[in-house]
Amino acid sequence: MADQNKTDTDSKFYNEVLSPSELFAARSRSHKIPVRGQKDFFPDDSDEQRQRLEQSLNEHWSLISEERVEKLGNLVKATWIPSENIVELQSPAGKFWQTMGFSAGGKQFLFPEEALYLMECGNVQVFYQELPLSIQDGYETFLYSSTLRLQEYQVFGHLKRLGYLVHRFHPSSETSSYAKQLNLPQSRDRAGKQLKRKRSASPIATSSHTEAQEESTADRMEEDTCGQEGQEDKKLPESHLTISPETSSTQTATASPGNKGGVRTWWMLDDVGERSDHQPASAASRWDFSSISFPDLGSSRERLSSCLVSPDPSLLPGALAVGVCDVDPWRTRINLRDVKMSSKEQMREEEKRRHRSDKDREVRRCSNWAEYRQLMERRQGRRSKGRATHLWDGEVTPLHDPRQPIPTGELLDKISVIKSTHLLEGASRLQASDEWRISFNVYQPDTVADFKKSNPGKPYTRMCVCRCFGDPQYRRLPSTERGMVTRRRLCLLGSKRRLANHLCRRRICSNPSGTTSFDGPVPDLRAIKQLAFQSGDVPVVFAVVDYGDISFYTFKDFQLPTDVFP
Amino acid sequence: MMDHKASVPAQTEGMEQGPPQVLEISDSAPPQVLGVSDSAPPHVVGVSRCDSAPLLWRDQDLKAVRGRGLVGALLGALPRTPRQNGRLGRPLLLLPEEERLLTELHATANANQGGGGVQLSLQVKQHLEEQERSLEEQRVLALQDRKSALLHAMTSSHTGSLGPSEALRGRLEALHRSFTFPRGAMAVQLSTARAGLHHCHEDRAFLRAQQPITAQHDSKAAARYQVFRDLRGQGFYLTSAGKFGGDFLVYPGDPLRFHAHFIAVVLSLDSSLSPLDVLAIARLGSNVKKTVLLCSPGGVQYPGGAGGVQYTSLQWSGMV
Repeated sequence: MADQNKTDTDSKFYNEVLSPSELFAARSRSHKIPVRGQKDFFPDDSDEQRQRLEQSLNEHWSLISEERVEKLGNLVKATWIPSENIVELQSPAGKFWQTMGFSAGGKQFLFPEEALYLMECGNVQVFYQELPLSIQDGYETFLYSSTLRLQEYQVFGHLKRLGYLVHRFHPSSETSSYAKQLNLPQSRDRAGKQLKRKRSASPIATSSHTEAQEESTADRMEEDTCGQEGQEDKKLPESHLTISPETSSTQTATASPGNKGGVRTWWMLDDVGERSDHQPASAASRWDFSSISFPDLGSSRERLSSCLVSPDPSLLPGALAVGVCDVDPWRTRINLRDVKMSSKEQMREEEKRRHRSDKDREVRRCSNWAEYRQLMERRQGRRSKGRATHLWDGEVTPLHDPRQPIPTGELLDKISVIKSTHLLEGASRLQASDEWRISFNVYQPDTVADFKKSNPGKPYTRMCVCRCFGDPQYRRLPSTERGMVTRRRLCLLGSKRRLANHLCRRRICSNPSGTTSFDGPVPDLRAIKQLAFQSGDVPVVFAVVDYGDISFYTFKDFQLPTDVFP
Repeated sequence: MMDHKASVPAQTEGMEQGPPQVLEISDSAPPQVLGVSDSAPPHVVGVSRCDSAPLLWRDQDLKAVRGRGLVGALLGALPRTPRQNGRLGRPLLLLPEEERLLTELHATANANQGGGGVQLSLQVKQHLEEQERSLEEQRVLALQDRKSALLHAMTSSHTGSLGPSEALRGRLEALHRSFTFPRGAMAVQLSTARAGLHHCHEDRAFLRAQQPITAQHDSKAAARYQVFRDLRGQGFYLTSAGKFGGDFLVYPGDPLRFHAHFIAVVLSLDSSLSPLDVLAIARLGSNVKKTVLLCSPGGVQYPGGAGGVQYTSLQWSGMV
C-alpha cells in the first residue's frame, strides 16, 4: 500500500481531476459494491491473511477514490446564493422535485442540506461565481454551525439514504401554544389530507354513512374550496345530509335554554366546531354546564319578568354589545302547556315530593348557605359516629371513608398520594430554549408516491439532533456559565440526579474539540416536555451522532398499569 | 512523550512548478510510537474544517492516514451507490485523538483556505475552456467507440467474400459525417475534493504554517489521547466506541478484516468508579463478546521516560 503511495504521490498527489478519456470511460462502469467477506479473528501473519487484507483494502480504496461522473444532460444546474443561504435552480428540476425544494417568486430553490445531498447523489451541480462547487466546497460553505450543523446534515443524509422524506421543521408551521390552550380545531388541511388518502385507498367506503359522519364538515368545506372538481358535486349533497340533522338538533337544543338573542348563533357555531373536532369529550369539559345557569323560560309557576337583563359586559368579547332581551316572542314559540298526568302518576309525583320535603325539612329551614353547610357537617358527623370520628375532626382526614363502597380501581386511585403525571403536563408554560430544537420532520418512505410538498400531512416523527459538548455554540459560553448550565439541569432532573451528575461530570471534562454528541448533554425533562409539546401528537426522536455512527432514541410517556381484580 | 516539536519541517518542495500541492517534510523524525512508521510516507495531510470538525477529502490523504493505522469515520455518500448507508465514502472524519497524533507528527496542514479571490474571471475562463476541450475529446472518443462497434458488427456478420471493405468504408464515412455528440451526453466530473487550489498561489504559504489546532486540552481529553497513543503504538487499530458505551474499540488488525477485541474505557487512576457502572460495562462487554479494558494512564513508567498506561480487564465471572 505504502509503496504504491510513494510511486504515484510524486506525479499526481492532489490531482484527482479526471481526464476526458477517463471521464468517457467512466460512463460504463459498474455500480455494484463488492461484498465484504467474513472477518478473521486474529492476525497470524500468514500470507493468506495478508492477501485477503490487501484485496479488501484495494476494493476499499477503489470505492473511496471513485469520482462522481455524470452526463451533463442529467445534471440539474443550480447556483448558491450565500446571502440567503439557499440554492437556486437554473435548469428544470428532476424527479427529486416531488419531495424536495420549494418555489418562491416563480423561482425554484433548494435548502443547503437538500442541495448537498443531491450533489452527493450526482443529481445537481451547484455553481458559485460561475464555477462548479466540489462536494468539499459544498460541505464547507453550506454547513455552518449557526444555520445547519454538520451533525444535522449527517442525520439528514442518513435518513435520506434510508429513503425517508426529510423536511426542515418550522416552529411557526405548528399550532402555537396559545392555539393549543384554546383547544382550537386542528389544522384542517391536515385532516383533509388523511381523508384523501383514505379515499384513494377505498373509494367505496366514502359513501358509507358511518365514515361520512366521522368526516368533519369543516374538512369537507376546506376540500371543496380546494377545488376537487370531480368529487365536488358528489360530495356536496352528502355533506348537507350529515349537516342537517346536526344543525337541527343543535337548534332544538339551544332554542329552549339559550334565549339570549344574539348569543344563540354562537352556541350553534361552537357546537358545530366541537363536532368537527372529533373530540366532543374534551371540548365538553371546557364548559361545565351545571355551573352555567340558564333562565327557565318554560316554567309557568314562577313567572320571570318579560325581559332579561343584558349580560355582564366583562363576560362578552370585545366590541359586542348585547342589550336587554325581550323573552315574550320566544315564549310563544315553546310549548308552555302543563303536562297532563294520570291520577296514578300524580299520586306518585305527590308522594315523591312529600318524601323529598320530609327529608329535607331541615334543609328548608336553613336560610342561607352557611347554615346549610353547618347542617351538612352535623349530619356528616352524626353518620360517622362510632367510626373513629376523631379522624375526621382535624384538618387532616383519611383519604377514604370506608363506609362508602367504591370499586378497587377507584379506591387505589383515590388513596394514591403521588399522582403520576403526563409528559405534556405543564409543558405549555415552558419557554422555548435555544439549546434544544427540532430540526426535521420525517415522513415514511412508503408515502413518497402520494406525497405533496404543499400539503405534507402529519409527519411520522420529528427529529432533534443533539448538540455536542464541543459545539462552537456551546463553547462560546465562558466556563463559569457552562457550570451554571449543568447545575441548572441538575436541579431540574431531580430524581435522575445521579445519572445527571455522572453525565455532567463527563461532559465538563470532555474534549472541547470533540465532535461527538455522546459527550453532550442528555435532554432534561424540561427540554423533553417542551419539545414534545411543540411537536404535538407526533413523537420526537433524538439523534445522537458519534463520529460516523448515528443512534436514535425517544422518550415515551409510560403509565404504570394497575392490576385490579374487579 | 516524544519530543517531535523540535523538528520543524525543514523544507518544502515543489513550490513553484507543476501541480504544487505536495508538501513534503523531508525528515519528520520517524515516529517510533507508530508501528508502521517506517513504511508511512512522510507526507502532510490536508485537514479541512467543516463546522469545526476535522475532515479529510483527498484520496491520497485518506490512504496516508490509513497507512499510519488511523481509521477515522467516513461520512459522505458513496459515489457509486449513493443511496445506501452500508458503505460510505469521503469525507473522512478524524477523531480528536487521531488529529492530535497527526499534529504532533507534523503531518497535518490546515487546508481550509482555497477557491475564491484569485482572478475569478481567469478561473471561469479556464473552466469553460477545459469543458470545451473535454467535449471535443469526448466527441472524438465517442466516434471512435461507434466506429469500432460498427467495425466489429460488420466483420463478424459479413463473412461474405464480396469486398466488405468498400461497404464498410462507405458506412464508416457516413457515420463520420452524420455523427453528432450532443452537449448533454458529455460526461462531467463532480469533484469530491476541491481542485481550486491549483490557482491559488498564496495558499501554499498558508499550508506551510503548522498550527496547533486545539490549544487547550483538558484532563479527560489528555487521558484519552495517552491511551489512544499507547494502544496505537502497540499496533492496535482504534475507532470510537460510542455505540458500545466506551471510549475506543480496539482492533487487533485493520478493521476491514478483523473484529474488535476490546472496549477501552478511559479512567484516570484516582477516579472512583461506581459498582453499577462496572456491572453495566462488564455485562455489555460479555454480551458483545468483547473484553472490557479499563485504561488508566500514568500508572507505569517506561524506561524511556514515557508515561505508560495501566490496563485492567473486566471479566464477567458467573459462580455457580
